[in-house]
Amino acid sequence: MNFSEFQNQARLYVIGALEPEEVEEFENARKKFGKKGEEFITKCYALHEAFALSLRPAKASSTIKERLMAMVKAKQQA
Amino acid sequence: MEPSEVIASTRRKPKKRVRLSKPRAQPRSVVPQLEPGAPSDFELMKAIQAADPDALSQLYDRYNGILKALILRVIHNEAEADDLLQEIFMEIWKQAKNFSAQKGKPLGWMVTLARRRAIDGLRKKQAYARAEERLQNEIEQQPDAWVHNATEEEILLSDTRALIRKVIRGLPSAQQQAIDLAFFRGMSQREIAAKTNTPLGTVKTRLELGLKKIYDGLKELRDEL
Repeated sequence: MNFSEFQNQARLYVIGALEPEEVEEFENARKKFGKKGEEFITKCYALHEAFALSLRPAKASSTIKERLMAMVKAKQQA
Repeated sequence: MEPSEVIASTRRKPKKRVRLSKPRAQPRSVVPQLEPGAPSDFELMKAIQAADPDALSQLYDRYNGILKALILRVIHNEAEADDLLQEIFMEIWKQAKNFSAQKGKPLGWMVTLARRRAIDGLRKKQAYARAEERLQNEIEQQPDAWVHNATEEEILLSDTRALIRKVIRGLPSAQQQAIDLAFFRGMSQREIAAKTNTPLGTVKTRLELGLKKIYDGLKELRDEL
């Protein structure tokens, strides 16, 4: 696998779209490309952020934050 | 100038809207801009790592809408999405020690976590069959599922979102659909092929081409990608 093919596979990998038989080959290539490969994978994870930002924000129930913070305080006191 | 005036002004002068194809004097970030003096996401994460509840409260205020939208996009159920949102922020609180700034930005980390939890939740709660049925209806009624979430007027309300969506909407609908099914439904290539009655090789090509175009398009929006 050359680096261009690795880049294509990496973009599929970060969204979980590689098939099981492709994952093994990808992991081998990942080792082969080392730091350069890891840096590219890290950049690909930014796709997650972009996909989320492409959506119109949704309003959460007003009680969610109250419940969350109560749980956090309870956990801290435990 | 009020936001509505900005929109009206943009409508009157469409030629002055930002164009992705032109080089920018200053690179844009895809992340919403913060108020002057507000702590950065990294600072909030550091404070959460130090068990500061106020930092979690601020992070919640900043990103609950984005994460809720993502969860809702996956599970299509308002009440379940709210419950999951709470669980995810609790997990952010508990797992903050595992966040490393060297591996990316806080929002990316949170989105990855939220997406995984949402897809897990979808499967665990056995809502999958119901979502599948709704999805099938969506595909039949509106193949361009990514586009139906917002009107043009809504898109104008957020320049950042509009720019990202412009990149995505520039893709052929088949590529959009393949990425939508993979990212928001957690489907494998084989599942997408079965769902859309498309050859597996075609699905792979659509995903590869679509993701590359989005990745390349986003490069114009952000300095760090």
